[in-house]
Amino acid sequence: MGKGKFITRRILQMLLSYFIILTMLFFVFRLALPDPTAALVMEGLSAEEQAMVRARFGLDQPLLGQYFTYLTNFVQGELGLSFHYRAPVFPIILDRLYNTLALMIPAIIVSYLLGPLLGVFLSWKRGSRSEFAGIIGGLVLRSAPLFWTGMIFIMVFGIWFNIFPTSGMRTLPYEAAYFFDKIFTLDYLWHLFLPMMTIAIYYLGLPMLIMRNTMLEVMGEDFIELCQAKGLSERRIMYHHVARNALLPVVTQAAITIGLAVGGQVVVEVVFSWPGLGREIVQAVRTSDFPMAQGSFMMMSGLVLIMNFLADVIYSYLDPRVVYKGGKE
Amino acid sequence: MNNKNASPKKGLRERLKYLKPFLNTILEPVKIIFKDPLGIAGAIIFSIIVLIAIFAPLLATHNPAEMNERIEGSLLAFSPGGQWQDYEIIGDKPINDLVIRGQQMIAAAESGSIMMLQEDGSWQEVKIDAGIDFFAATVAEDMILAAGEQGRIYSYQNGSWQENHLEQEIDIYGLTVSPGGTIYAVGEEGSVFSWQEESWQQLNTGSSRTLKDINFVAADDAIVIGERGTIIHYRQGEFLAPQFRSFTDETFRDLNGLHYFSEELAFAVGERGTIMGYDGTEWFAMRSDSSRELRGVTIISSEEAYAVGYRGTIQQYDGESWQTHERITRRGYRGITTAGETGYIYGVDPYVNELAPPSREHFFGTTHLGRDIWSQVIYGSRTALMVGIIAALMVNLLGFTVGLISGYYRGGVDSFLMRVVDIMYGMPLEPFAIVLVLIFGPGLWIIILAIGLLTWRTNARVIRSQVLSLVERPFIKAARIAGASNIRIMLVHIAPNVLPLAFLQLAVAMGYAITAEATLSFLGLGPPRVYSWGTILHAARLSGAWRTAWWWIIPPGIFISATVVSVFLVSRALEVLTNPRLRGGNESAPEPKESQDVLPHE
Repeated sequence: MGKGKFITRRILQMLLSYFIILTMLFFVFRLALPDPTAALVMEGLSAEEQAMVRARFGLDQPLLGQYFTYLTNFVQGELGLSFHYRAPVFPIILDRLYNTLALMIPAIIVSYLLGPLLGVFLSWKRGSRSEFAGIIGGLVLRSAPLFWTGMIFIMVFGIWFNIFPTSGMRTLPYEAAYFFDKIFTLDYLWHLFLPMMTIAIYYLGLPMLIMRNTMLEVMGEDFIELCQAKGLSERRIMYHHVARNALLPVVTQAAITIGLAVGGQVVVEVVFSWPGLGREIVQAVRTSDFPMAQGSFMMMSGLVLIMNFLADVIYSYLDPRVVYKGGKE
Repeated sequence: MNNKNASPKKGLRERLKYLKPFLNTILEPVKIIFKDPLGIAGAIIFSIIVLIAIFAPLLATHNPAEMNERIEGSLLAFSPGGQWQDYEIIGDKPINDLVIRGQQMIAAAESGSIMMLQEDGSWQEVKIDAGIDFFAATVAEDMILAAGEQGRIYSYQNGSWQENHLEQEIDIYGLTVSPGGTIYAVGEEGSVFSWQEESWQQLNTGSSRTLKDINFVAADDAIVIGERGTIIHYRQGEFLAPQFRSFTDETFRDLNGLHYFSEELAFAVGERGTIMGYDGTEWFAMRSDSSRELRGVTIISSEEAYAVGYRGTIQQYDGESWQTHERITRRGYRGITTAGETGYIYGVDPYVNELAPPSREHFFGTTHLGRDIWSQVIYGSRTALMVGIIAALMVNLLGFTVGLISGYYRGGVDSFLMRVVDIMYGMPLEPFAIVLVLIFGPGLWIIILAIGLLTWRTNARVIRSQVLSLVERPFIKAARIAGASNIRIMLVHIAPNVLPLAFLQLAVAMGYAITAEATLSFLGLGPPRVYSWGTILHAARLSGAWRTAWWWIIPPGIFISATVVSVFLVSRALEVLTNPRLRGGNESAPEPKESQDVLPHE
């Protein structure tokens, strides 16, 4: 099986998964709420007018008909009207998606730059007290819930020292013609720092410990002994020979983490009032904004699927055995 | 007969034979945990949390939902011109009246308590065990008097307290000594008494309303105030017709406090910010900024006066009008008095002990509603463990079953189940739970369900890869050739071998479930009125007070972290039990050689 075929198969798999998630979402929403217009239809409308509203929203059709309308609308990027914003859901969600990525990607990059470096350091100092402290530290960082770390950060750096803003993406009011206008500013970096560090610290422990473990394994291999025999400096051996060979599992883990980070992001966005997808979906629950909640969920699970797919593709490049073995067993 | 009985017996014995290794596999993890020092540490921390959860009602010092009040007697000293000093707590009974006579200070407080200032500046409490509250006190030439409920009047003469009560059981609200030296008491049912010839004589006021205070400016010139706007002048031994001005022009509010400063100046204050002024001829209502109840007033000069009352209200008079003075505390004051260069505001009403920092009474302080955070955190451990254990069992049961079936049957069943797992991986947990809450409403079961329905995916993959390698082992093939059914092979031959791994996964899932529960509760998706570490932080965030009240957010977070760390440490120790080679992280990856699961995913 070639690489192209492997990727095609994975894409098809991903689309199928997404299709099933969309289907489940539709039926869960419709079965739990047989009449979504109840929230929308004002009291005092006559039966005929109510029927008209239902017809307008296509709710007089059989469930299966509604389901096909739902799918075709989805393909056309038509996710309905938000009850809360009284505007189409899709453009709003798209905007929130960019904001989410503008926080998530820097955070993951920072944690996967720092994590492996610390991991190399720990394996270097193997058996020492700083290694022990590092391992315990990694465990503790991973155990502290994201939202709590965020709150502590806000309290310490935002309130006590008052050196970082505590909420939002930019100081209000601001004007940004388009998205990149918004994020290519110092003000944005200023706002980004605390939420980014909150996420980065949480995800840093895992690559650090993985890196350490793999490093220790690689160090036991024969070619390292050869390097030592050649008289290379320890630093050179560590960074050039061991680390390079130990990076693979970290890269895999990074790809998996990005998928999971989409969910973990929600609380951080809530704590820091970051106008992203996660905050939007929590707000949608508070305002009973069903189209918004549905749309945000679609977007998030789509994001997760794409991340998982990218993880597999990256892995197939790094470790070609996956492709030739058929991706399984 | 024998044969018939023998066969089930044999079957039982045969089963017992399997029990021993089965028990061994169950006990093995425990032994392994205790071989690892970090594992022991984890086990100890976890046991402490479990003990806290079990003994929560004993450990909790307060009802976590109770709004804790503080009851205290206190003084707030000031000097004319508005120099306010520190709030000083004296005793634990709210002070209803304070008299200053020279160096002497006597405070009449609730629950039969009288505080007297000693020469060394300390306060001494005299407790009169009469089961009544004192409302008034005064100092006459040769004695101190205090009076209160049920017509009880106590006098301090020659170093001892004597009771001296009225014939009627009416509450006494005011005591005063006229410049002529006569003692007067006012109280319920429009009664005014004077102390004459060693007994209390009732005077006829012509009113039946409760009277609150009496104040003299000269030996024969006094004002009495009371409920529903009652103001009565007492001149030359005569009560002038009660001025019930309520229904005409001025006020029908209850009046609480009075200061008759000079013949041309008096103020009376009362309910809903009522301030009545007297200019020597007429009573008139004055504008005040406050709508809160005022309890006391004192006049320092014709250009300076203060009125105090409910919730820390202080009104200041500048000779023309009343303005709200900056609030010093939020406590309800009961009165104000001045003598010479100093004055005192006294009280105070029992108040909600809100946002109190940690103290001996509240180990972790209190919330903005005066609730005890220590007790909330203690009860929160129950929720965390309950959700953690139930969700972890659910996750494990699902993951174990799916992994076992998938790994054992392989082929089409495996492909199908793994696609289901893929779909599960496509849904992030928090949004999934949020959608469930949107549809079914918030609740603990929804949280458990969300965790259980979604996170079995990792367990299924891990168990599956272990089963896949087991199936190829000779003993499974032997069992198959011996004619064992699929179910028998799965349950008797494979399951016990996967059990250690399942234990590890149980620990991992529990740590994850506890974090997830805290996260979802923090988002407000948990049930109201159930204390969990997440909901405590949710409440803190909602109140907005968490930005300064560090004692509110640090303890729950530490408990969450400690619990999760302990579970991680245990699971780390357990990892020795399982062959890392057999554990796959990413399903698409080949059997990974590296032990990458130092920490659980997710």
